[in-house]
Amino acid sequence: MLLVVIKKELLRVFTDRRLVFSAFILPALSIFILYSLMGRMIGNMAESIDEHVPLVKVANAPESFKTHIEAEAVQVEYIDSTVMDTTKVEILEGDTELFIVFPDIFEANIEAYEVATKPDVDLFYNPSKEYSQSAKNLLEYTILPEYEETLLTERFGGIAAFTAFTINQENQEAKIVEAGKEVGFGLSFMMPMLLNIMLFAGAMGIGIDVIAGEKERGTMATMLLTPVNRETIAMGKVLSLGIVAVISALCTFGAIIASLPNAANLLAAGNEVSLAGLAFSPMDYIMLLVILIVQVGIFVGLICLISVIAKSVKEAGTYISPIYILVMISAFATVFTSGDVKMFNYFIPVLGNVFAIKELLLRELSYMEFGVTVGISITLILILLKFITLAFNNEKIMLN
Amino acid sequence: MIEVVDFSKVYRLGKKQRSELKTQDKTKKAVDHISFKAHDGEIFGLLGPNGAGKTTTLRTLSTLIKPTKGTLIVQGIDVTKDEKEVRRKIGFLTNELKLDKHFTPAYTVEYFGQLHGMKKEMIKKRRQELFDYFDITEFQQKKIAELSTGMIQKLSLVVSLIHDPEVVIFDEPTNGLDIITAKAVTDYLQHLKASGKLIIISTHIMNVAEKLCDRIGIIIEGKLVAKGHIEEICAELEASNLEDAFFKLYQTHHTDVMKGAI
Repeated sequence: MLLVVIKKELLRVFTDRRLVFSAFILPALSIFILYSLMGRMIGNMAESIDEHVPLVKVANAPESFKTHIEAEAVQVEYIDSTVMDTTKVEILEGDTELFIVFPDIFEANIEAYEVATKPDVDLFYNPSKEYSQSAKNLLEYTILPEYEETLLTERFGGIAAFTAFTINQENQEAKIVEAGKEVGFGLSFMMPMLLNIMLFAGAMGIGIDVIAGEKERGTMATMLLTPVNRETIAMGKVLSLGIVAVISALCTFGAIIASLPNAANLLAAGNEVSLAGLAFSPMDYIMLLVILIVQVGIFVGLICLISVIAKSVKEAGTYISPIYILVMISAFATVFTSGDVKMFNYFIPVLGNVFAIKELLLRELSYMEFGVTVGISITLILILLKFITLAFNNEKIMLN
Repeated sequence: MIEVVDFSKVYRLGKKQRSELKTQDKTKKAVDHISFKAHDGEIFGLLGPNGAGKTTTLRTLSTLIKPTKGTLIVQGIDVTKDEKEVRRKIGFLTNELKLDKHFTPAYTVEYFGQLHGMKKEMIKKRRQELFDYFDITEFQQKKIAELSTGMIQKLSLVVSLIHDPEVVIFDEPTNGLDIITAKAVTDYLQHLKASGKLIIISTHIMNVAEKLCDRIGIIIEGKLVAKGHIEEICAELEASNLEDAFFKLYQTHHTDVMKGAI
């Protein structure tokens, strides 16, 4: 009888074009377009900064600097220090990316380094402009240190004697990491959050309609008049909704994977991520599947319970919103936490599963942690099922 | 046979309901110690104004709600002891029960047949009989949303009868139906009666009661104030017809301030 109820619920969803579009196609399409677009835009922005030749204005430029910067990919204008204020306005308006002011007696001080004070070079830039920020970084961390190295070479006839050691000049095996773990590290930033939010959103859209909608339309009471156990009806609704939520999440997950070529930087928060590097063991996949299933079970249980208690679809939507916010907060926990996950976290329903997914992607989830989070989740699912069944047996709730 | 003994139903009233009913009482007695019997092969009618307790009685008989007090026996089974078995034996139809308009009549009937534990072949045979009788056959593959109101009502009737129940319970069977559909429904009720089924209906329309019912029970404010054959009730109250008898009873038992206006 359970299969009959599940079949009907699935038929209801999969033969309704509107529901198919809203539950499976729209979220996946939105994610794909959004992430591809954002990833592409971030990529374009970085490319544009790389290709941009910054305009750098220099006051009191020493001859040695002029010679040094000639070979660099920057457009240089040498100005008089009396027009400093005008140049600062240009920086503010984005017409000039960087303004360098050398001290008047820069070269003299360099030459008289044993007695003179170290000359200080001033850099002026606008941190709210990407080109300006990038030009400042280029000059501060690359061009000016190289220029300094040139001056020191001239001063001492070479600086090798002043360098005690170098770092990773020849070491080709600097990264000591398990195969695929680096990719997992990238994925562990955003993936647990996205998966959880998608699973809940997928179940929420249809879940409310499956129970609260049926109550509101009067079709639920017709079912309650058949000799089927209320437990079976409740279980049929929960299971079918779980299947729908998983399929919805898979569609969205597929969309994320499809958008990876464009959205890798966006999803991995700057860390390396590529499908080629993903190499999870069959056990990893089984554990991930189990965690996702119990997480879906909790979400569906909560949505079903609220939908049973609510008198209408609108009321159910109102009650579910705060829970959605809590789920989102739990999901975001993985993005903003670092270091080892403490054991007590796995005892917290929903949150424990989010951490478990993160740790699994990092290949650091132990069987004990897996067992705790799954055990707690199953316990909560059983409690929710009990409450749903009680609600199904409550005439005041079911018949409003 | 249906046997109702000393049945009462009390609802707890929420704040909103108390406000709507303009009462401070936290409970409302919908049905107050009623008893009656209905036998196989007869149509028994519960007659009364809106809110009298007819629907509550039928809902309790059909196991949708539980009695506060008393015993309700359907074909020898206590409705509080074996709900599933009672549901197997009854077919219940009310305007409040709806069908999912997304599905076709064919699938809807098959689905409810399966929920009643019927075999596929049996469902097919029974569905065809009922579809033919109610002229639904040519619409059976259309979505319910595309059907007329009358056709949907007839389909609801088919859904409640698919498992060939021994007892048929109809809450206001002709309410909201057009004259042709209403005739089809009342004819079918007579057909069911002729085949030995027990039919219990509720109505507030005197004509329906006079035309269909072998015996009736009149409920006013939750109390069963009269029961028996229509002729017996009329004779006892010295009323010319059922409507006259009803208003005499109403005047005697109604406690509302409007009583004097009747």
